[in-house]
Amino acid sequence: MGLFGRGRESVPPHPRREPRIDLPLSLESLERVFRDAVDFSKREVQLAGDPERVVTLCYIGGMARMERVNDYVLRPMAQDAGLLACPDMAAVMRHMELGALYDLGVERRRDMDRAALDLVEGNCLLLFPGESEVLSLNVGTEEKRSISAPENETVLKGARDAFVESLRTNTSLVRRHLKAPELKIKEQVVGRQSLTLVDVLYVEGITDPALVSRVEAQLAELDIDALLATGNIEEYLADQTRTPFPLLQHTERPDRLCGGLAEGRVGILVDGLPLGYLAPGVIGDFLRAPQDKSTNWMVASMLTMLRYACLLVTLVLPALYVAMVTFHQEMIPTRLAMSIIAAKRDVPFITLFEVLILLIAFEILQEAGLRLPQAIGQTVSIIGGLVVGTAAVEAKIISPAVLIVVAIAGIAGYTMPSQELAGALRLWRFALAVLAGFGGLFGAVLGLAGLVCHLAGVESFGVSYLTPFASNRGGEKEGRAVLRQPLPKTKLRPAVLNTKNRRNQG
Amino acid sequence: MKGKAIALAAGCCLLLSGCGGLDLLPYARELEGMALMRTLGVDAAAEGVAVTASTDAGEEGGERAQVAERTAPSISAAVLGMQAEGAAYVYFGHVGQLLLGEPLARRSAGEALDYVLRDVEMRLDTELYVVRDGGAGEAIAQAAEEGSAAGRLEAMAEDLGLAARSMPRTVRDVLAGLERCGASFAPALRAEGGTFSAVGYAILKDGTLAGWAEDEAAYGVNLLLGQVDADVVEVPVPGGESAALRVVGARTRVRPRFQAGELTGLEILCRVDANLAGGNADLEDPAVRTALEDGLSWKESGRIRAALALGQELGADFLDLQSAAGSAAPWHWGELQAQWEKWPELDWTVEVRAQVRRSYDART
Repeated sequence: MGLFGRGRESVPPHPRREPRIDLPLSLESLERVFRDAVDFSKREVQLAGDPERVVTLCYIGGMARMERVNDYVLRPMAQDAGLLACPDMAAVMRHMELGALYDLGVERRRDMDRAALDLVEGNCLLLFPGESEVLSLNVGTEEKRSISAPENETVLKGARDAFVESLRTNTSLVRRHLKAPELKIKEQVVGRQSLTLVDVLYVEGITDPALVSRVEAQLAELDIDALLATGNIEEYLADQTRTPFPLLQHTERPDRLCGGLAEGRVGILVDGLPLGYLAPGVIGDFLRAPQDKSTNWMVASMLTMLRYACLLVTLVLPALYVAMVTFHQEMIPTRLAMSIIAAKRDVPFITLFEVLILLIAFEILQEAGLRLPQAIGQTVSIIGGLVVGTAAVEAKIISPAVLIVVAIAGIAGYTMPSQELAGALRLWRFALAVLAGFGGLFGAVLGLAGLVCHLAGVESFGVSYLTPFASNRGGEKEGRAVLRQPLPKTKLRPAVLNTKNRRNQG
Repeated sequence: MKGKAIALAAGCCLLLSGCGGLDLLPYARELEGMALMRTLGVDAAAEGVAVTASTDAGEEGGERAQVAERTAPSISAAVLGMQAEGAAYVYFGHVGQLLLGEPLARRSAGEALDYVLRDVEMRLDTELYVVRDGGAGEAIAQAAEEGSAAGRLEAMAEDLGLAARSMPRTVRDVLAGLERCGASFAPALRAEGGTFSAVGYAILKDGTLAGWAEDEAAYGVNLLLGQVDADVVEVPVPGGESAALRVVGARTRVRPRFQAGELTGLEILCRVDANLAGGNADLEDPAVRTALEDGLSWKESGRIRAALALGQELGADFLDLQSAAGSAAPWHWGELQAQWEKWPELDWTVEVRAQVRRSYDART
């Protein structure tokens, strides 16, 4: 095992099996496919009490809702005398398909793959003797978490509904916010084992069709076992994986997703994830808070500037401290230098080591706080931050100045609206501190130059990550990342999105 | 990926090792391993120069200031010698005051200024003082016995504005003056028993101490440069009594006088603002007000004349009047430059317009 994982391990081919179940559509095949599946159930039903006419009902327990099966399927089959008038099973099947059963979703299935998938999705199947086709009836359960307020995106002024795990509920939430019939929702199935539904949302007439095609193509290329975690979609859909910076913006709030759609971006909803994604995601998007548009434009601009300042602070403050204390002592105001000397006199570690220890401790505390239940997490943070920090200072293991520097850098990082961006900054903060420890400001500036070069090389769905500070191929695209104009004056959608209609208001 | 990482690591190792002339990285020194020198004193010595450096006293005077002294043929050699004296690295990047003993200033103040200019650690915004009738080392050592020279000099510098006959000058100011017009000035101080007191200015000409601006001449310097924040002047009022006027501002304009392209003199116009600080003078009475203003004008005019006379006597344009005159008449700048050698014999007129604005009397 090496630093970069196992070396030279050959990757075998991973072809898709088409069809997935190479069997004829029959009860025997279904029983074979679902053998050792205790939740697979079947039941024979006489049509209107006629023992000569028996159909088989198959479903998966827990996935199908029993009341619906009873009321919409079994009861009509037992009571509808019209079924007896049908000359054969094909006619019965046709009769049921056209309305004898009280169900909105009745589909005729011809292949085993689709039929098995319907069962798993909660449908029940009706198999007719002598027929090669079956009827699939939508009787699935709709057990889901109720819509509640977003947990991670605080709403001060605005809608308080948040996405849930049910894809269809989420699309309905989007439709309620964005009632335009031009809202398109295209669906793909991702994951060989999870068969997760992924919806691509956009507003026809606004969103760049090339962007939509690009997202759809990348989704189609996504060939994984299971789409269960957010990372599955973020890493696979992003153009570049060799960057810690987020390239897809996610939100729990339907109104925010709708705002992105109206702006000309593409939305992605995944079944099972209470999140919506917006593509493309550039650095300016990750520094805009959801409530910015609900706040006065001057206040919002001031807060955005504050966030950019905090970005710099969280990124460079530890490095700047290391550089100044170790290499450029003349930059420190004299009184402050004397205070630092007095505080550091009995500390046995060099400054770089001190800063790294504390940065790591900060990360450990944060991770511990996140993993534990909220009440215990808070306790850990308090104990770690106050008790251990104070004890470490008193024991002369670290100096108070370093504690203050790392604490300020850490707190400044919490002002980032996107935790993914904050995580990337934390990673670079370590790198810059190490570089500053070796080369002072020279090293730190070298690191910052490397960061700018890195960001300049990153694109999200063809849009430069540094937009609107920089744009693709040197072209100038107007945009305001820091200052927000009054909304009545913001009459155009962002140019970088190449929307079909730039105007967004009269 | 693996190859790139190895190449990167190898590159870092090469940089850090200093091999192959790639010693690009600066040298690291931990701050806590340093002795931050705050005051530097330079005196003349038989061997060359005697350099004295002092740290600041600890917080609330809890720790005595450390004083290091070294004699060597040059300031650089003396400073280098100090490094070998203790375990801590002696750091001069935070030196805030440079003191020159009078003998050294008379011999070569320029050497010390040049050292500040060239040294990588010293700062050009270091304040410069010339110790009158004594040595800088002795003054620093005495101050370190109770506190530190830095603390006392900082306190003195903060109060200089109230004295109106002294002002802090940095090495940059003095060097700029010497470069521009061959003369400049620095505050002079007298050290007695570890305390410092401002005693006007030391006039530097061609890198050496040429004379002193004391009393009236020192006030004149401040008036000419408009550096009067607070000065109390006693002037007589009709009726035999006197009133105290607090001078709160001065603005001076210097105009060259030319006749047929020939520089014949300077016209100096100074506007002085003052408030009535004490005495039984009724400012509502025009006669009293005029008397006060005339008295103040006469007094301040005398001070300006004293400063100008000193400059002419020493043959040193330490106030950079040439530039001031050039700013007032930029179209004559070439002629001014060509004819400024006449400065010691140049005729000048001084006009002071004093204005007493208000009284501090709460009843009015």
